This record gives sequence, C-alpha cells and structure tokens, in this order.
Amino acid sequence: MKRLQENKIELLSNYLKKSGLSAELLPEILDHLACEAEERLWDGDSFEHAFSGIVETADPETLHVLSVEHNHLLAMEKTLNDIVFEGRNKSYGAYQLRKGYNSTMQRSLLLGVTFFLLIMLLPNLYARLVPEPEKDDIGFQVELITVDVKPEVTPPPVPVEPPKAEPQPNTVKSPSFDVLPDNMVVEEATPPTVDDLEHALPGEKTIEGNSDMMDIVPPAAEAPAGKGKAVEAEAPKEETFLVVEQAPAYLGGNAAMAEFLRKNLKYPSQASRANIQGRVFVSFIVGSDGKIEDVKTLKGIGFGCDEEAERVIKLMPNWKAGRQSGNPVRVRFNLPIVFQLD
Amino acid sequence: MDTNTTSNEYVRGTLKTIVLNLLAEEKRMYGYEITQEVKERTGGAIALTFGALYPVLHKLEQEGLLVTESVEVDGRLRKYYSLTTPGNEAARVKTDDLERFVDAIRLLLAPKSLATE
Repeated sequence: MKRLQENKIELLSNYLKKSGLSAELLPEILDHLACEAEERLWDGDSFEHAFSGIVETADPETLHVLSVEHNHLLAMEKTLNDIVFEGRNKSYGAYQLRKGYNSTMQRSLLLGVTFFLLIMLLPNLYARLVPEPEKDDIGFQVELITVDVKPEVTPPPVPVEPPKAEPQPNTVKSPSFDVLPDNMVVEEATPPTVDDLEHALPGEKTIEGNSDMMDIVPPAAEAPAGKGKAVEAEAPKEETFLVVEQAPAYLGGNAAMAEFLRKNLKYPSQASRANIQGRVFVSFIVGSDGKIEDVKTLKGIGFGCDEEAERVIKLMPNWKAGRQSGNPVRVRFNLPIVFQLD
Repeated sequence: MDTNTTSNEYVRGTLKTIVLNLLAEEKRMYGYEITQEVKERTGGAIALTFGALYPVLHKLEQEGLLVTESVEVDGRLRKYYSLTTPGNEAARVKTDDLERFVDAIRLLLAPKSLATE
C-alpha cells in the first residue's frame, strides 16, 4: 500500500481546517480521508486526482454538517452552566463557582448539620464523660485569703543589768585531807573549828569577806499590796441548774406533752416538700415558777423545722418546776422534737 | 448516484445495527475499515459515507456501547472502535430485530399469492 507523504497529509489537513471541521473530529476524518486517498493511489490514480475526488465526497457542506452533529452530540452532555458560559470568560471565576456549587452545598450542609448536632449533643456528651458526683461525696472548698503578714515588731530587749557583786560571806579554808602515815602528818592542817565557822562559811580558802551580812536570808517574796477586797461577780439571783434532784416535768406527764406536741406541731411545708426528717434539739429553761424561757435550738435540721419546734415549745403551758432540796429552782431542760413524715 | 441516495435512505435506519453487528464480528475496527468492509461484503451496493458513519459511531460511543482507543499509525492518529459489554448485548438485540424486520418486509414485498401461500 502506498503511503501518503507528510506534505500531502498536511494538504488534506489544511483543507479540512479551512472547511471548518471541529478540532476534535479532525484527526479521525483526516485518517479516514488519508486512507481513502491511499486507496485511490493504490488503484493508480495520481494524487491530484485522488485529492479532487476526496474533496468531492468530503465537500465543505458535508464536513460542516458533521461538525454540527458532533456539537449537538456534545451539547447533550453539557450542563446548563456550559451553555450559559458558552463563549464567555470562564477563567473569571464565576464559572468555577457555579460548577462547584453542588458539591460546595453538599459539603456545607454536611458540615453544618454535624456542627449543629455536636453543639446540641455537647451537654449530653459532657454528662456522659464526666461522672456526676455521688450524693455522699465530700467536697472541700478551699478559700484563699491573702494574709497581710507584718513583721512583728519586737521591742528591743531590756538590757539586763549586770549582776551586782553579790555579798561575799567570810570563808575559812577547809583543807582537804590526804591519808598519810602518822609520822608525816603535819599538825597545822587542821579543819576549822566551830569557833572559826561561827562567823565564816567553810570554803576553799580563808578569805576575809567583804560583807557584814551574817545570815543569808532569802528575799521575801514581794506580794503586791492588794486592796484586800476581792471583786466578786454579782451572784445571779437564781442559779440555773442542769441537774436537780427533782426534774421539771410537763403537767400531766410525758403522754400529755406528746399529745400537746402532736396537736400543735405542724410539719413545715418547706420541709415536707424537701422530704426533710429528723430531730430538733431544743433547749429551754423551766423557771422556778414553771415558766418556760430562753428557748433556743441546740441542733436543728433546718427547713423551718427549728422555728416550728421553738414556736411550739413557747406555746407550752407552765411546767412543774424542778426542785433542789425541796426548793423550786430554774433548770435548763433539753427536749428533742422529732419530725417524721408518714 | 440515484441508486446510491435511495440505498442511503434505508441505510440510515439500519446503520447503527450494521456497525454494531460488524464490530461484534471484528472486535476492533476504525472508521475507514468499516466503510470498506461494508462495501466489500455488499459488493458496493451499500456505500457508507463518512458523513453518515461518524455521527453514528460517536453517538454509540456516547451511549456507552462502544469504546475507542487511539493508535498512531503512519504518523496519524487512528481511532479504533470496539464493543463494550452492553454494546455486545445491544448488537445481538438489534441484529435480531433487523432480521425480523427484514423478514416482515420480505413478506410485505412478496407477491400476494406467495404471501398467502
């Protein structure tokens, strides 16, 4: 088979380009026509003859129709954007934005929903991850207070007076004795006699003292000369006892008191709402006349129970006073009041 | 020329089937090869013009029935067409359809006495 020379192919290509064939179709059609030309050359035609024959079959109109059909085919694949931007500046940016619009929307929706859910579920997640403190957990709250530390101003030490020369008593040398054989004993070394010691103390040496003091008397303790009148706190008129021989009692006994309490005691709504139960220890004084005074709560449970207990105690009629050696006395009395929900 | 145009009228409707059927047999062909093959087999009765052939090839390619591969031959890019799996299926169906159609046409064109026989 004869091969078409390069310049002949170039000739064909130029013809096709001139006829307005789209660039995408060009290689294929060129190949086709080249094959045809080769075939004709093979049959013995001259190239010029073959070329004119080809031009006859592939007239510009046919080529134009081919291009248009091809464009139509491609157009089916085109999106609206391609049509809108046909022949416009695509590199400006709007085309890219439009083309990526769908994926951008999808991504942003996904991100948005994820973010929103995350925000919504955050408290839940947090609660799951951080365990709730147990009811009987003990927590400490440490409060930091800045302490103003001032250097302590210590008063200058009072100069200690040098001890005065103590009165020196007379001393007589009291020699130490060595155990010696009789012949070596020196007569002079004799212990001081009683007469000597009458005016002197036994000492290491015999020294003439510088004091006339004979007796060493310990200095008398200097007691502050008080006025001799004790300031006595004014005794209270009536002593309040804690324990007495005969304890004060509610008139009518414990059963009557329980009845009184049951009748008058109201469960505070605040406490019942909070489900508060327990004992309120109320302290009061039963006077010698049986009157109740100085009512106070020693240990309460709060939520209005303490106040209620105090109120009811104050409501109580006079008690039978406590007695100490037959005399009615003031007695401090503690009474637990039980608040219990049914 | 006159006969050619009339044949073109029928060819246009069956061109797709012809191409598919040829490719089913030959596996891989390029455009000019197809026209030559058709011309040879029909003894020149059907001559495919490239103006008719290539749009059909491109359309089939776009439909996914054909795949192309470009091979450089003699310094030119030659585009070979071959059938895809759905293309094979389509070739079979279309050929069957055409055969039935041709039979029907034959019945139609046959003299009435023969047809009723």
